[in-house]
Amino acid sequence: MSAFYAMVKRELRSVTREKTIMIAIVIQLCIASFSSVILIGLMSFYDPDSIGLNARISIKAGVIGDANSPLVGFLNDCNVKVTAFSSPLDAEDAFEAGMIDAIIFVLDDSGVVEMKLFLPQSESLSTVILMILKEPLKRYENYLRQANGVHVRYLDVVGMPSTTYEFRYSFIIPVLMFFPAFVAGSMVIDSISEELENRTLETLWSAPLSLNLVFGAKITAALVLAVAQCALWSVLLRFNRVSIQNLGLVLLLAAVIAAIISVVSAFASVYFKDRERSQFMYSLFVSISAGISYFFDFSPIALMTRLSTGDYYTGIADVAMYVVLLLVLLAGFFYAARRLIAVPG
Amino acid sequence: MGNILTIAKREIKRLRSRFRGGSRLAVVLILAGAFVISYLAFRQGVVLGQGMYRVGISPRGPVIRDSRFRTVVIDRSAGYLMLGERAIDAYVDGNTVASRSDARSLYAAGALKQYLEKYELARIEGEYEIDRAFPLRVEVNYLPTSAESGLATQETSLSELVDAWTSGPPEPAGADQTMPGEPVSQPVESVDDTDSAVREQIRELESGGGLPRIEMEFMADKEIIVPSLMSPPIPFAQVIIAFLYILPITFVSVFFISSFMDEKTDRRITVLMSAPVTSFQIIAGKMLPYIGFSLASVIVITLFLKGNLLLAIAILTPVILFIFSIYLMVPLVYRTFKDTTFVSMLAVSVIVSYLVFPAMFSGVNDLSYISPLTLIVKMYRGEPFGLKEYLFSTAPMPFVFILSMYIGTRILNEEYLMGFRPLYRKVAEAIYLAIDVGRRSPDRAHVYLSVTLLSLFLIPIVYMMQLVTLALSFNVPVRYALGGLLLAAAVVEEVAKSAGVAVLLENRVIRSARDILVLSFLSAAGFLIGEKLLLYVSLSVVSESVLSAALFSSGMLLIPLVAHFVSTALVCLLTRRFGVRYYPFAVLAGSVVHGLYNLYVLGVIP
Repeated sequence: MSAFYAMVKRELRSVTREKTIMIAIVIQLCIASFSSVILIGLMSFYDPDSIGLNARISIKAGVIGDANSPLVGFLNDCNVKVTAFSSPLDAEDAFEAGMIDAIIFVLDDSGVVEMKLFLPQSESLSTVILMILKEPLKRYENYLRQANGVHVRYLDVVGMPSTTYEFRYSFIIPVLMFFPAFVAGSMVIDSISEELENRTLETLWSAPLSLNLVFGAKITAALVLAVAQCALWSVLLRFNRVSIQNLGLVLLLAAVIAAIISVVSAFASVYFKDRERSQFMYSLFVSISAGISYFFDFSPIALMTRLSTGDYYTGIADVAMYVVLLLVLLAGFFYAARRLIAVPG
Repeated sequence: MGNILTIAKREIKRLRSRFRGGSRLAVVLILAGAFVISYLAFRQGVVLGQGMYRVGISPRGPVIRDSRFRTVVIDRSAGYLMLGERAIDAYVDGNTVASRSDARSLYAAGALKQYLEKYELARIEGEYEIDRAFPLRVEVNYLPTSAESGLATQETSLSELVDAWTSGPPEPAGADQTMPGEPVSQPVESVDDTDSAVREQIRELESGGGLPRIEMEFMADKEIIVPSLMSPPIPFAQVIIAFLYILPITFVSVFFISSFMDEKTDRRITVLMSAPVTSFQIIAGKMLPYIGFSLASVIVITLFLKGNLLLAIAILTPVILFIFSIYLMVPLVYRTFKDTTFVSMLAVSVIVSYLVFPAMFSGVNDLSYISPLTLIVKMYRGEPFGLKEYLFSTAPMPFVFILSMYIGTRILNEEYLMGFRPLYRKVAEAIYLAIDVGRRSPDRAHVYLSVTLLSLFLIPIVYMMQLVTLALSFNVPVRYALGGLLLAAAVVEEVAKSAGVAVLLENRVIRSARDILVLSFLSAAGFLIGEKLLLYVSLSVVSESVLSAALFSSGMLLIPLVAHFVSTALVCLLTRRFGVRYYPFAVLAGSVVHGLYNLYVLGVIP
């Protein structure tokens, strides 16, 4: 057993000495930050309410035509400052002078209303203005529908905009919890194929260490690092006030998946015996598995989402399924490794 | 050329020998699997958060077809009971939605609200005639404002439009016969015409989530929108296509990097270098097959998606060169497998973020032109872009490629490749080797020119680093982020400008303060020339962004030159005084000066 610990320590030391693990952490930080940039960007278009865009940006609209239209009221409700103009020329002058951001031409509301909206030509400006005008225009549309005798249901459902919530729990958290597993797999391949290519494995192996002990130590070392990273992410997420339900099970699932991926990558590296092919096949394998798991409800990603949001029906039994898979793979690997390695590459 | 081709052939042979027999079968199988999966994912569309919410529905409630919800049909009393026990997150009770007051339930209700809104639209569309179901149509026109009237292509005045509109339908034949100088009367849609626009949008809504629309659509000057059918402007489908282009290039990198690593581990590269071929030929030969493969994949993808082949090649060739220039540095600088894996992983994630994420904001913010993939997105949306936009996003990439190839040929020697030193030492050595200090013929050294060109060529990299810092700053509260960002931007620039001089100092090529001052001036000037070149292109493209003003401070030429010179000279003189060991502190001091100057330009300090 002490030999095993010594091997694990040796592996960990080589990682910390080369500071590679720091690079891995920087990668994940990069991914997470870029994702949050994207999130904020997306939110401002899908869900302007949720980041308070409407409250922060106020736009000024000039209205020509029926100043008593209900639309004016809806515009005011949504933080749009309305100025009434009697002639299009006045409105155009004000627009050119930059006093108003948009011009709305309203007619009386009977039957089908065809209104004209004038926006600045600049793409970025008009996009933002249109996004802010969307809500009052929608309300006006529903008002017109009611006037036409069309009843629209579910208009008053109370709820919070869910985009951030969904993105956080179905993307950010699975990425942060499973990326360390991907890193672990890569590390195992590098570690094994480096020893195979430098022919140092034979020395280790002929020493009083069994081959499985060497492989077991390498997998364990990768696993230790993966779990440490996941724990780090969960602390950082807590700092950012993202709460994770079932934290213990979440970390267990992350560890089990990291172990499964490490065993698979160990398989790949003893089968192909060089880094190039093993890494290539491994990264293809991981991308495909992530792709496949997208279609299944019980996939690790979906399971991670449900565990971390505190789904009522998800618990230890779901995680246990993956523990069983891990044990089967591990037994298979330990059985096959010696035979595989004897076959020349 | 002959040598390059020979080395390229050797590289292909090496690759083929890797995949023989059993492993070839495995590759074919796994590639076929990847293809099938990506095709299926492509068909199904990307949905985040499958099965996130559990929702109870009353027996007469709506049918929910959205993979985010797992639904169960239960009667009222059981539904409310389960809601109270947290076994379901929301309960659709006929025409209302019941939820609890905790976050999970409220988010579920919010997601339901979003879904039911669409559901209702579909119902209304089926139950009522189109004029009652969609009674509001908004015609969006774009007017030039005074600030941008110079850019306006065709100026149509609002009053003309309104006059034409209120005066009723135009005479059928009148449109062609307008005299020059007369106001052009715009043909006005009748209700039937806008109906067709509404139908078009309903069709889009129904097909939404399926295959992305990639046929060329022409963006007219005006468009008809229906507020409830308005979709957000994020070009998701096209961004996925853009990502598709990058994917094969990143995969092929494994082989390119391994090729160098292999030759390093079994020391064959020594043999290769002693052969009568130049370093450039070795690198170019090894790179050629992979660049060829990347180009082939670009062509195949474009043909498959029926895009514009020449345009796609014009946009993506600089991208391919850029990606390979980064991949070239990885195996040359690093030695162990683990390092290579992680650094290439870092490279992939930075490249993907730098290229893909800005493309998401195509059409929203002009800063998105920083990535050439924005042009790909534009191409597939049928939106026009000009030569300026093309140059703005692609021009830095060949620069990076040239720099990387040059440094690559300089450091391709046994001593450098086999040396085992920390990263910053490796980088410093690479910079030193890149500077022409007259190793071959001492009387023909080009130290001055090298230092000037070095800081000029480093600009695209500085640019990228600043973008990455910008993204990272989103993790920090805004109050601290801006200050930190300005300082970080200054640090990156100072390192780029002073690195050349610092390695010369370290290697005792220069000693006197006079030399340092001259070199600092040249380095600052080189940097400024590059910066202004970039600014010249970017001003016309990114004129609206405040950020560009901060990062690429505009203004007169003399003052920025003096500022660059002062901060660089400060860094270098401090390094000379206290030794290279204190270089980081010297950089920090220079950056503070630089940062203060930036604050002054921004008007924070009067």
